[in-house]
This record gives sequence, structure tokens and C-alpha cells, in this order.
Amino acid sequence: MGSRRSRLELIFDILLAIQNKGGRIKPTHLMYKSNLSHKLLNTYLEELIHKELVLVEEIQVKKKQSATKTVVITEKGLGFLAEFRRMREFTDAFGL
Amino acid sequence: MFRLFSTPGWFNGWDIVFDIVGLIVAFLIAAYSWRIYHINKENRFAYLSLAFILLAVGFLFKTFTSSILYYTPIRDVAAEVLRPVAGKGLSLSLIYYRAAFFLQMVTTLGAWLLMFFVSQKPRSRLKKFYEVSQIALFIYLLLLVSIVSNFRYGVFYMTSIVLLSLIVLNYYKNYLNTNKNKRALAVMVSFLFILIGNIAFAFVFFSQGFYALGEILTLVGFLILLITYQKITKR
Repeated sequence: MGSRRSRLELIFDILLAIQNKGGRIKPTHLMYKSNLSHKLLNTYLEELIHKELVLVEEIQVKKKQSATKTVVITEKGLGFLAEFRRMREFTDAFGL
Repeated sequence: MFRLFSTPGWFNGWDIVFDIVGLIVAFLIAAYSWRIYHINKENRFAYLSLAFILLAVGFLFKTFTSSILYYTPIRDVAAEVLRPVAGKGLSLSLIYYRAAFFLQMVTTLGAWLLMFFVSQKPRSRLKKFYEVSQIALFIYLLLLVSIVSNFRYGVFYMTSIVLLSLIVLNYYKNYLNTNKNKRALAVMVSFLFILIGNIAFAFVFFSQGFYALGEILTLVGFLILLITYQKITKR
């Protein structure tokens, strides 16, 4: 079993899961890809939306009466991903 | 004239340039590590930043003392600035040279010691219970070595060699643990060059050329660090 992920690592995993799906993903898929519980994912999504790293779009499906939610990564979110990768590379290089 | 280093005449001034490069590189890495600490609040990044700041300060003191030793105009300016405090005997006062060398050595050794602790894997680091007493012991030994080194400079380089050897070993382990990461290899190689440079410094008593060789090897080490830093931050 892997070690517990830090808060920043969790945010990275969420944003990476969205990026890997072409920049938009359904919340349910995101939950499985990022390996988080529904409650925890919602908590982090709220934070990510507040920090404008992601946004939630509602798309009206023709056949269904309800709207489908999609989580979309923003430019700021992509910037965070790049910065986190740099930080991780620095950490690996200096053995921290 | 009081001299800590036996610098060949043709090399006068070049070591100052090399030390300034090292100073800049150390500051850049310290700043980036501090920035990461600011983001994730993990102490190890703050410690690494402090280590490189100490290294930069060590270079600053070395540059200062070298400038005063090599260049009469700078020595005259320094004498004028310090004359109200030192009085008539400033030109012969060894205490200022010794103080500057002491500060250079204690900061540099402090940097190597901190880097040694930081480069260890967390499970190998000192446990909190023993931390304070053992760190206090290390600081005492550092201060003792720095004082003694004022009279026997070889002691400073021998201590640096021991600490740097341990740092290189830690970074070699890190290179293996990170699945032979190129950046980890570069960091290990850079500290290896700095280590070999310090070994060269230890043989200055044998030939002045070893001082120039040591400076060049140390410069190469810091240039590798600079290239690694640029490759990481520009991705």
C-alpha cells in the first residue's frame, strides 16, 4: 500500500486526471482516476473552483432532462501542474 | 602579509570571479527552495535553502577577504572605513582577517553539515528526541574546527572533505533511489567536483597550483548545479 498523499499531491493527481482526459472529465470518472472518495473529491473540487484551477460546466443533454456536469481544467490549473512537476523534479534531484 | 591561501600570482582575481559565480548559483537555488517551502510548508526545503544561503555567505566572506588581500585600493578603503574602530594598528591587525576567515569557514562548514542532514532519507535523519543535543554537538565541533582552522587551514579542508564525501554518498543513494534520475546524477556529480576541489585545496602546501585547480573544480561543480537548476526551472 502506498504512503499517504499530501494535500498538494492530491490536487496534482486531480488536475492530472483531468488533463489526461483531454482537459475535461465527468466527476464520477475523476473520482476513480484520482482514487478519492466522493466526499473528499467534492471538498477538493470546491477548493479548486475557488482558486480557479478548474471550473464546472453543465451541459444540457438532448435526450435527458437533466444537465451533465463536466470538470474542466483552466489555464491556471495547467500552470499549477507545470509548477508542481518542476517542484517534484527539484525534490528528486536534491533528495528531499 | 597574512595569507590563508597560497594563491599563485597569475590566478589573483580569478578566484574572486569563480567565487562570485558560486555565490550567485547558491542564491538561485536557495531562492527556489525557499519558494517551494512557501508553497508546501515542508521544513526540508527551508533547511536546504538555509544551507545554500550559508554557502553564499561563505563565498561572500571569501570574496571580501580575497579582495582586501589582493587589491591595495580595496584594502585602503576598508582600512579607512574601519579605522575609527580599529585605531592605528589596523594595517597590522590580524584579528579582522582572522574574523573574516572564521566567518567564511563556519558558514561553509555549516552549509555542508546542513546539506548532509537534508540529503539523508527521512528515516535516517535524527529523531527528535536526540536532535537538539546532537545538533548542538555538531555546531560546537564546527565552531571548534573554524577556530583551529584559522591557524591550521588544512583542518577546514579536511572537515569539508569528510562532510562532502558523506553528501556525495547520500546523493549517490538518491540517484539510485530515484531510478537513476538524470538531475539527481547531475547534483551528485556537481558535489563530487566540489569534493575533489576541496581535496586539491588540502594540498596547497605542496604546490600553489593546487589552489587554482581546486578553484576550477569547485567552479565546474557549481556550473553543473546551475545548469541543473536551469533545466528544472525552465521546463
